[in-house]
Amino acid sequence: MKTPWAWLGQRRGRESQWQDELDSHLAMRQEWLRAGGVPADEARRAARKQFGNRLQTLEDVRAVHIERWLDDFLQDARLAVRGFRKSPTLAAVAIVTIAVGVGAAAAIFGVVDPLLFRHLPYPNDRQLVSIGYFGPVDDNEFNVVASYLDWRREQTAFQSMTSMRPAPALNCDLMAEETPLRVNCVSVEANFLRMLGIRPAIGRDFTVEDDQPHAPPVALLSFPLWRSNYGGDARVVGRKVTVDDVRVTVVGVLPEGFEMPQLGAADILMPEQLDATRPRQANASGFLRTFARLRPDVSIVQARAQMLPLFQQTTQLDVPKELRSEVRLVIRSLRERQIHDVKLASWMLLGAVLALLLLVCANVANLLLARAAARRRELAVRAAIGAGRARLIRQLLTESLVLALAGGLLGCGVAWAMLRTLILMAPEGLLRAGRTALDGRVLLFALAASVVAALLFGMAPALERPRAESLAGSRVAGASRTLFRRFLVAAQVAISLVLLTGASLFVRSFWKLQNEPLGYEPEHLLTASFTLRAAHYGPQASQSAFFHDLEARLKQIPGGGLFALSDSIPPRGSMGRPYSNIRIAQHPPVAPDGGMVEFRWVTPGYFRTMGIRIVAGRTFEESERASGDSPVILSASLARRFFGAENPLGQQIALDGDAHWCPIVGVAADTRNNGLTESDPEYYRLRMDNASLPRGGVALFRTPLSPATLERWVRQEVAEVDPSLPVTFQAMPERVGRFRDQPRFVATLVASFAVFGLLLAAVGLYGVLSFLVTQQTQEIGVRMALGARPRDIAVQIQTHAGAWTGIGIVAGVLCSLAVTRMVKGLLFGVAPDDPLSLAAGIAVLALTAVLAAWIPSRRAARVDPMVALRYE
Amino acid sequence: MLILKSLEHRDNHGFGITLHVQTVSEGLLRVEEGSLYPALHRMEKEKLIEGDWRTTENGRKARFYALTATGRRRLAESEDNWTSVAKGVRKLLRFA
Repeated sequence: MKTPWAWLGQRRGRESQWQDELDSHLAMRQEWLRAGGVPADEARRAARKQFGNRLQTLEDVRAVHIERWLDDFLQDARLAVRGFRKSPTLAAVAIVTIAVGVGAAAAIFGVVDPLLFRHLPYPNDRQLVSIGYFGPVDDNEFNVVASYLDWRREQTAFQSMTSMRPAPALNCDLMAEETPLRVNCVSVEANFLRMLGIRPAIGRDFTVEDDQPHAPPVALLSFPLWRSNYGGDARVVGRKVTVDDVRVTVVGVLPEGFEMPQLGAADILMPEQLDATRPRQANASGFLRTFARLRPDVSIVQARAQMLPLFQQTTQLDVPKELRSEVRLVIRSLRERQIHDVKLASWMLLGAVLALLLLVCANVANLLLARAAARRRELAVRAAIGAGRARLIRQLLTESLVLALAGGLLGCGVAWAMLRTLILMAPEGLLRAGRTALDGRVLLFALAASVVAALLFGMAPALERPRAESLAGSRVAGASRTLFRRFLVAAQVAISLVLLTGASLFVRSFWKLQNEPLGYEPEHLLTASFTLRAAHYGPQASQSAFFHDLEARLKQIPGGGLFALSDSIPPRGSMGRPYSNIRIAQHPPVAPDGGMVEFRWVTPGYFRTMGIRIVAGRTFEESERASGDSPVILSASLARRFFGAENPLGQQIALDGDAHWCPIVGVAADTRNNGLTESDPEYYRLRMDNASLPRGGVALFRTPLSPATLERWVRQEVAEVDPSLPVTFQAMPERVGRFRDQPRFVATLVASFAVFGLLLAAVGLYGVLSFLVTQQTQEIGVRMALGARPRDIAVQIQTHAGAWTGIGIVAGVLCSLAVTRMVKGLLFGVAPDDPLSLAAGIAVLALTAVLAAWIPSRRAARVDPMVALRYE
Repeated sequence: MLILKSLEHRDNHGFGITLHVQTVSEGLLRVEEGSLYPALHRMEKEKLIEGDWRTTENGRKARFYALTATGRRRLAESEDNWTSVAKGVRKLLRFA
């Protein structure tokens, strides 16, 4: 492909040649005059005079070369516009149809482009990978310090590796003018930014010295934090700020739009200061996320092969024996790591909207074919007076292009509006903050989509060869054309059936999700979450004291209803545990299956407050909290798994891989405890007075109080215990609703595509049948004159419609079965080949087809034989 | 047609063509430079003639044009056309 520069350069070369040519002409004329005895001056003047306007001539020469097609194109375009002005309805329908198709496609493209196609905001982003152990501990690959240090030292597959510590959200306090500000602090290795290929906007990057254990603390601020809290003042570099009571020197500011590779929030980066000198045992429990940059010539597969021996070696050293069989090495591209959850949904939406665009093309092609039939005469005349076939094809294509570009232009407006709606609707994860916008790429996509669409729907009429017999205005030449049009209708029916089936699948799946019993009752449940700061609650005793105090106060809230305290609540999963940590007295060891056990620390009121049924045994009792017994309640599925038909009550179980035996006192009903669809086995432990509890907590209230009232009470009580502790309030239905965002989004979109697609198919079918009726008016008239009843005629037309719809439906069913299988992962409680959804799709489509066919068939039935016969 | 004809026996440059037409028609016909060059370029684009840079007898660089096969065919056609038109016109004139 020629670059624009090469083309320009070439053009410049040609231009100067044209000038040289004219100049040489002048010179020769001069020579010739002088040879005839004219003096030099005179000769020059005469030559000039003879030549006339040199610039004008040059201009004329240039005009010859300026691509003639542009001229032709404009002429054709003018012609096309004039033609469409004569049939404004058709043009309007076509343009609006294209606008919706292109607009929808562009909007969806705008959403999925940053996820699927656009470069991640790092140089050579394709070399970046996420690497680590993958096991029943976390949803993503992780690493431990001890292993990472070995990998980093001995690996050969990567240019470099880097690491960061996963941190809970809002984990540190930045002192900003007396009041603490909760921010996200992330510790990263010194080479973190360098490996990603990012440089600070101002100031410097971390150095290896900063990253030494016990080095003076330094920090990089995020661009937004710098803007909002330091007024974007460059003098912030070198200043000391207080983070979690430690004085930290700001060394720089991250560039605007910087993204953490795992997409986490980060307001402040600090060196993680890994300490290789600590005993291996200590470093084996330090969790990390690790990333690496592949060598240019190494693929992920090769890198994996190279890393495998190292992985096996460190697994032996750092992974607890019980867990070793359950962990594996994962290396995947950074994009894969980032979009894993939404990849399928993104591709599916893109596919659906492209199918819609295809439908639009088929429909417009159909419209244009109808129009072409009407103007066959005009084309034949033009062919007869010498328009070349290529020229005619070009003109017809230009017409489609004019339509498509008008539609595309309008489509950009549609895309803009739709994208705004999508941004409001879209669930977390499907949107990349700040990177989803109607930008050049989206517009370019819209343009490309329009042009491709024009080629698709313009091809059909353009390839029709104008025939001489058309000149006579006879109607004999239409057979092959209507065949093609009917084929188009069948294709439309097939595509819209696929969309319809998909839509009913997603709607059904969403409906099931909405009505699926969760195992707990979210209504009237209010939650207040908080996380204690390590700096303030270092010793375990002060932590227990805090929880104790808080619990006592929250329990007293007037009208607070049922109350409970837990460290986490569904629908979000807990910090899962591997099975290998669990032992049961007098039973063989539990066979790990790669899955996780959910596990929560709860107060006795948890089950009543959440509305979880106790199916056997009893719930915890307040009196047990001071005893040394630490009772356990299992979920029904866990009890079944461990004990089968045996009675679990009274059995002893050790949960932490040690010999601390706990009695099982009850079995609770299963809950959807990991999202809305998964029911992982789960066990509950009583929050003992002396237990070392996680720092996160969730207070639960089942109360008739309004959320606002309760919130005021709770804030007041929390402030009495710790004024600087931030608390987040959320009603349980809202928490649960967040998990339905993506299915709702997908279902809504696909359903609206399907409705639009259905409409298009109906219009297409209607158009073809109307055309058929008009074309066969004479024939119908003759038949009626010979005694056919109007009903027979209607039936005949309906049969026509039925045949082509039927073919479309059969093709559609086959496509649906093939396509829906691919979206299995997005469905819940519905099989991809769910017969009900397919049947619903077929029914809706068939009904629409009957309606679309009804009007033309009625018209056919009312044909007056006399009028029809007199037609000619 | 005049331009094509003047290239029939000899490749020539733009100036040469004007001279040729003028001399052969004994001053009756003249080709304006303003239309000559656009015409040359158009014909080159239509592949009737081919141009390339050569040196004249006087040692000057000039762009020479040569007839292509298509050009020759086109010339023959238009000569025929012209002859028949001229014949027709002559008959008409004589008849009137």
